[in-house]
Amino acid sequence: MPKHLFELTNLGKQYPKADDWALKDVNLTIDQGEIFGLLGENGAGKSTLVKQLVGLMKPTKGSVLFQGKDVANNHMRTAIDIGYMPQTAGSLNHMTVRESIYFSAHLRGLSRHDSKLEVDRLLKLWQIENLRDKSNQKLSGGQQRLLRLAVAMAGRLPVLILDEPTNDLDPVRRKLAWDNLRQLNQKQGTTIIFITHDAIEAEKIIQRVGIMRRGNLIAVGNPKELKKSVDQSLRLDLFFEPGHPPFVPHSLDPVIDQEGHRRYMIAWEILPTIMAQLNLDEIDDLRLNSASLEDLYLHYTAEDQPAEKSA
Amino acid sequence: MIEDKRQPQPFIIQIWDLFLIELTNWRWSWQYLVVVGTITPLLSMLALSFFARDSGTEALQFIWSGNVLIGLMFGLQSRLTAHFVYLRTEGMLNYFATLPIKKSALILAVIAAFFLIALPSTLATIFIGAWIIGLTINPSPLLALVIPLCAIPMAGIGCLIGSWSRNYNEAGATDLIVTFVMLGLGPVMIPPESLPSVVLFLGRFSPATYAASALRASLSGNIGPAFWLDLAALVVISILMISVVGRTLDWREA
Repeated sequence: MPKHLFELTNLGKQYPKADDWALKDVNLTIDQGEIFGLLGENGAGKSTLVKQLVGLMKPTKGSVLFQGKDVANNHMRTAIDIGYMPQTAGSLNHMTVRESIYFSAHLRGLSRHDSKLEVDRLLKLWQIENLRDKSNQKLSGGQQRLLRLAVAMAGRLPVLILDEPTNDLDPVRRKLAWDNLRQLNQKQGTTIIFITHDAIEAEKIIQRVGIMRRGNLIAVGNPKELKKSVDQSLRLDLFFEPGHPPFVPHSLDPVIDQEGHRRYMIAWEILPTIMAQLNLDEIDDLRLNSASLEDLYLHYTAEDQPAEKSA
Repeated sequence: MIEDKRQPQPFIIQIWDLFLIELTNWRWSWQYLVVVGTITPLLSMLALSFFARDSGTEALQFIWSGNVLIGLMFGLQSRLTAHFVYLRTEGMLNYFATLPIKKSALILAVIAAFFLIALPSTLATIFIGAWIIGLTINPSPLLALVIPLCAIPMAGIGCLIGSWSRNYNEAGATDLIVTFVMLGLGPVMIPPESLPSVVLFLGRFSPATYAASALRASLSGNIGPAFWLDLAALVVISILMISVVGRTLDWREA
């Protein structure tokens, strides 16, 4: 019995005629029932990685095992268990919303009757019942994203891999998306792997995060533990009269340095010293918050952060 | 770990679903395809028949069979070329590649759907075309077998060009060259007596030669050993084409 749901070993990808590697020696395991988020700048290799998880792209080196079997040589087994939502396109342009969900569910092994029920369930879940008989081509960007989520989920699959599931969605729909994904994980134990730039909202459901930069997986772990490991537990924002920044001890470098505003990421341990030495007369306003996943992401993807860490 | 209870649909169900998916793509535009697919070869047939009016029945038969094949090439081969480029460039091939289906089911379903759409114009070209140019026909029931066997190699060529080409422009240009090479290579539109021996020799390697010959025989009711040889060649080429497309179409990204 394989220990992990996914096991990536020395995974590398070099595109034809490219000098650089899009993905460099990635080693990663993902377990069943996890919600795993991938963060990283544009072109970091996130989509290249997830395409290899679903067998859409052959690795140049290394391997991806799904339930102990090589994804590249086990198309049927992979496809029957994994629902994939690509970043762009990938759905059936000339079909209606209902047909797209129905055929996806049926081809993934549901009976015709169950596929019809699946259509009703997913239309309701994603609140797109009114789009039932609308052609996919006539949907807005956000509506197409919701349809793609529904199509990826059609067939009640145990694993979902989603490439930027909340792009194009308004705040209400974004919340709906994260809520639905969290419930899916909690109630059905669905393993969810996703790419997002929406680090603030993703933090609400993410259990483990991988941060990518220039083809490298530079950090993997639980967000809380990662924050501790890089002394980034707190976010201190200082607002002051432009041109007169306050003195901050410990030679801290601000992560944001704007006219009248500086942001520092600090550890709990040094907070008392900083607060004691801050001259409140030099400060107009002060805000102290727990560091967010976005702060962690910014820390790791900063230009001068070559280190590889895991927690 | 995940229990292995889930099973893919049987192969024939996969083909049927994918066939329906392909047909839905054309539900709003199939009428145009039929009209264009019928008018083009009929006009070509009519124009050429003016020149061949005094050249006898054989010349008219070649014009007729050649134009039926033109209809199949433009109606099936060219459309499949464009469709496979579309599947790749629009990310739809990615969608199919992540479903638990066999690649061969997708290829067969796409060919079947496009053949069905091309069938009305092919039949119209066969029967209306013969009437327009004044060709007396005595169709054999074997025509029902000959038409799909003529269509499959053309469809296979379309799938290959579409899956190998990098973009629409490259695919369109390649398809056009292949179409005219097949029409000119061998006794397809022109009787063999009027062709140089090198063209006749090269024509043996073109599916259009066997397709045109089988069409003429099944139209005149002249079913002899040559017809069965043509049919055998078309069966072999069809099997070869489908398997080559199945092996070379990579629905994964490079």
